[in-house]
Amino acid sequence: MFSKKKITLAHTVEKCTKCGMLKKRKFNEGDVLFAEISKCNSCDGITSIEKIFGETLEQ
Amino acid sequence: MFSLVNFTNFDFDQLFAMNDDTNPIMMLVWILPIILFVFYGQRIQLFVTSGEIKKGIKKLDSFREESRTELIDYVKNNLTPKNDPTKKIDQFLDYFTIMPVDMDPNGIVDKVRHIVRSREDYTREHVKLLSPEMNDFELTKVQTLLEIASSLQMIYKIINHMFLIAKKQNNYPLILPLQMILPFIMEQAEAMKEAIPAFKAGQPVGDGIGPMVVGKMMLNSQKETIAFQTTLAKTDFEDRKLFLLKAEGPGSTVGRPADALETIVSDNKLDAIIMVDAALKLEGEDSASVSRGFGAAIGGIGTEKFQIEAIATTNNIPLFSIVVKQSVKEAITLMTKDIADIADDVRLQVYDMIRENTRQGQSVGVIGVGNTAGVPQ
Repeated sequence: MFSKKKITLAHTVEKCTKCGMLKKRKFNEGDVLFAEISKCNSCDGITSIEKIFGETLEQ
Repeated sequence: MFSLVNFTNFDFDQLFAMNDDTNPIMMLVWILPIILFVFYGQRIQLFVTSGEIKKGIKKLDSFREESRTELIDYVKNNLTPKNDPTKKIDQFLDYFTIMPVDMDPNGIVDKVRHIVRSREDYTREHVKLLSPEMNDFELTKVQTLLEIASSLQMIYKIINHMFLIAKKQNNYPLILPLQMILPFIMEQAEAMKEAIPAFKAGQPVGDGIGPMVVGKMMLNSQKETIAFQTTLAKTDFEDRKLFLLKAEGPGSTVGRPADALETIVSDNKLDAIIMVDAALKLEGEDSASVSRGFGAAIGGIGTEKFQIEAIATTNNIPLFSIVVKQSVKEAITLMTKDIADIADDVRLQVYDMIRENTRQGQSVGVIGVGNTAGVPQ
């Protein structure tokens, strides 16, 4: 009766294949694991998707 | 305190007062409920229990309807079907599978495999007809959504049937098993309902930990399709030859690892098989905890497991497994952070198992078991 509503937010973690920098962002449609996504912000390496996961929040 | 009460001086005449000065109303207050409970006790219990079960059935009905609507909307909005798919989808939802006779169990596994695969093939072909431009990735998604919707429909029908029978017969003992299994059924049904968004979005689920681990081991290697919806990559690790197997991602499928293993074994000598899978955790166990063991770690109806065990036995190959514990809900909904975070550790443990159980120059089959939605290779 007093339980809070739970929502799950999907996140994508990108990892630079060169410097190893991790970047967490909201999941975008079409994201799949290991896909090469973009250029790294801190070096000239390419980032690929390392993890996709959900985090549950209570409202 | 007890010394204040004297238990020895009860007046039994007063307690069971049946003499002339007994108050008849007080007598009724005692006797009526006893008569009521003796003759109508079960009906009262049935009435109380029915209320709880009705709530559960109402929930199951809403899950069933929701999953059906989500599936129809998904097909209509994303796959540009030729005609309105509603009627066809409703037909699919009502499809049933009759399991073969098991009075003589000889050859039953082949029969079950044949029936299950026929159903899968039929569904795949007919789902494809809904929208001829549908690619394989979308096709696996729709097949999984259809599987969820038809399972929820079946659960609702069976539970409702059991409830109505008990009510019709006014039979309290008939409703007891239903009351006992309902919490477990509700847990599974809720998990299935919550799995829909993840499969629609093509996101990895908890069960995808096996393909995730092996998929990462496959990166930068040449891949080939070795069995239906199943990928093989051959790599080397510390002078050992690795045969890496997983379902073909990122579609929502579990592939056919047993067929793939059979093909590998027909041409190569394997010295160990390591299976990586998700496993249901026991109550009290931590989610995303990792355990190692022996035997074939693979779920499903049992045909794949049987085939893998038969291959391992015939060829005298030791079977090792490594599992990531999780709940039913975690296994079929969007992968949790804890499970995603443990993937690298599991991969290192697989390499440890290879070192511990094989020597240089030997060959190992590593199978990533589970649904590979959102996990390519």
